[in-house]
Amino acid sequence: MALMQISEPGQSPEPHQRKLAVGIDLGTTNSLVATFRNGSLQVLADEQGRALLPSVVHYADSGNVVVGDEAQSFAAEDPSNTLASVKRLMGRSYADVSATEQLSTYELIDTEGMVSLNTRAGVRSPVQVSAEILRALAERAQQSLGGELQGAVITVPAYFDDGQRQATKDAAKLAGLNVLRLLNEPTAAAVAYGLDEKEEGAIAVFDLGGGTFDISVLQMSKGVFEVLSTGGDSALGGDDFDQVIAAWAMEQAGESNLDARQRRQLLDACRAAKECLTSAETAELRVAEQTLSLAREQFNALVDPLIDRAIRACKRALRDAKLSSDDILNVVMVGGSTRVPRVRERVAQWFGREPLVDLDPDKVVALGAASQADQLVGNRSGDETLLLDVIPLSLGIETMGGLTEKVIHRNTTIPVAMAQEFTTFKDGQTAMAIHVVQGERELVDDCRSLARFELGGIPPMVAGAARILVTFQVDADGLLQVSAREETTGVESQIQVKPSYGLSDTDIADMLTASFDAAGEDKEARALREQQVEAEALLQSLSAALLADGEALLSEEEQRELLAKMEQLHNEKASGSAASIARQIEIVGAASETFAERRMDASIKKALAGRRVDEL
Amino acid sequence: MSEGSQLDFFTLLGLEKSYDIDQAALTASYRQLQRSAHPDRFAGGDERQRLLAVQKSAQINEAYETLRSATRRAAYMLKLAGHAVDTSATTFQDPEFLMQQMQLREELSDLHSAEDPEQALDRFYADVDNALRSQRQAFQGFYELGDYDAAKSSYAKLQFLEKLRYEAEQKEGELLDF
Repeated sequence: MALMQISEPGQSPEPHQRKLAVGIDLGTTNSLVATFRNGSLQVLADEQGRALLPSVVHYADSGNVVVGDEAQSFAAEDPSNTLASVKRLMGRSYADVSATEQLSTYELIDTEGMVSLNTRAGVRSPVQVSAEILRALAERAQQSLGGELQGAVITVPAYFDDGQRQATKDAAKLAGLNVLRLLNEPTAAAVAYGLDEKEEGAIAVFDLGGGTFDISVLQMSKGVFEVLSTGGDSALGGDDFDQVIAAWAMEQAGESNLDARQRRQLLDACRAAKECLTSAETAELRVAEQTLSLAREQFNALVDPLIDRAIRACKRALRDAKLSSDDILNVVMVGGSTRVPRVRERVAQWFGREPLVDLDPDKVVALGAASQADQLVGNRSGDETLLLDVIPLSLGIETMGGLTEKVIHRNTTIPVAMAQEFTTFKDGQTAMAIHVVQGERELVDDCRSLARFELGGIPPMVAGAARILVTFQVDADGLLQVSAREETTGVESQIQVKPSYGLSDTDIADMLTASFDAAGEDKEARALREQQVEAEALLQSLSAALLADGEALLSEEEQRELLAKMEQLHNEKASGSAASIARQIEIVGAASETFAERRMDASIKKALAGRRVDEL
Repeated sequence: MSEGSQLDFFTLLGLEKSYDIDQAALTASYRQLQRSAHPDRFAGGDERQRLLAVQKSAQINEAYETLRSATRRAAYMLKLAGHAVDTSATTFQDPEFLMQQMQLREELSDLHSAEDPEQALDRFYADVDNALRSQRQAFQGFYELGDYDAAKSSYAKLQFLEKLRYEAEQKEGELLDF
């Protein structure tokens, strides 16, 4: 009977209820959560009023897991169980990170695929550690907003490859978050400045953080944000500023041998001097027993070569976007290192305009993500902003001789799907493997391995007769999916995915179980609740769709059939088990497929008709 | 991706089937379509609906990218006319075009030693763009006349010129120290 109730004409369910949605900036050093409330975008602080949550997780003796400042306080006392900067390990292998992470205080383990961390709580994947951070932010948000979160937008660096994005999404899943979208950090920053509807033109987002530099060129037009190109330097950031000051200081002081602890102290002093020079003209720093004075002019000369590298990346990104610096209407500054006056100066000079610095460069990404989350969850109506992202790195497949054949080129707008035909080279061959890589280089070994797809169930034929059409699809989050079909027989191939640096579905399932156990949660109860929520969402969206377009797009017979299955789902939801609800969701989903397709086509026709009217 | 049941790209984007297209109209209807089909519109919807949106949105992107590029548009129109091009096996019997290619190649390889590489590069782009323009006109003429063999040959020339342009862009990086 509730079906009748939610089909009430002109009523969407609970029209005045705002859904709770957040934007999360999952950073290397700090993480933030923000939301849209009381008419503005706000970063949510903890009970002590702290907005930034250090991205640090501590596994305590007691078995407790603490996150943030509390975890940070164990860094000196219990370094091997205090994990920081795990973002750098996401979707990375031991071989990838062992060189750069030598100084990390915790033990890395060479596990197959993604690297793992050895803690007193056991072996942990970077995905699980990130999930702890996300869980802490979600809890903060739920406390602050007073309710369950409907969804979250999580930001990732624009240059993140498929493995890193997948790892981020897996972490969110472990934390029990419904991910509305993975959003590129620069895009989020542009959204935070509200550079939409009113303005038309190109903007550049200049993001200089602690360890990475990221430049993105976006095009805005009538509320559509289109990422034209992205580029950057994954080994350039504020830490390098500290390094060049340190090198200068050691030379000045005639010091050449510092132990690890002294070096750490020197780098800290250099960072302090750098921050001091944001407002002061000179800063002092100590090296061993000497005190040096660093003038801003000298500092500028030291960091100029680093800024040159950033400017070169800007040139490349503009060239990829087929624009010149004059075409850029606005430059958005993101990342703590854009506080350095010389950076602002050089950027202003090169782009020929003053960059936007009004929003806190540490918070701007989270604020933009919150804005997008609010929209995606359905709290806004009317003309909404549409964010069209691009794929940052080309996708290719391995061919004979270890060469790469590009299937989808970098900077292609996503979602995208490309089909490629393969054939068998042996009589009766029923399986084949496809190795997918990401990167721009010609040799497979120089690219990043994403996954190996094993295609099975190919009907046996003579060599070269089978025509296997493999479709590579990248969704709006930048995540790859592969499907395959033998064309002459129409047989769908079974695909087994072996992610190179990611977690398999079974890994994720095991981790989920482990997290339920740890939380003392009843797995069955949670599964049931999840299915009930999903059933409800499906019923609501279908009821609304039927109300709007049911009569126009479906025959009476078709409507009756669909309604009957929905009624069953409704009953199942009230009294069934998780498994039986899942089954009925599947049935209703399948039954509504035709309707969904017709609706999509109708809305596309309507969109085009609308445009023609506009033009008249 | 499967052909047949789906609209052709021109119809999908609400344009007349013609080589000579209005870029502004193309972009406007592309954005309008993405507004209604993009998966973000269905962030709260069920799994199937989202998947459908991903497919539809990918199809719209492909249509837009294909029609936006004059060269890809040419290949697509040949395919629509039942004369799909096999890009691997093209040889030229056209001495004039071969001569032009040789000249352009020479110009490209001399860029390094030019007195003002930036200016030389601009000149090179202008030359290639001129050649592209006239080859596009040639393509359109042949296509409209129904001379698909000649149109195919024009398309192959367009590809060669595009490749030159791409190589120049790569070179621009090295030359201007990007």
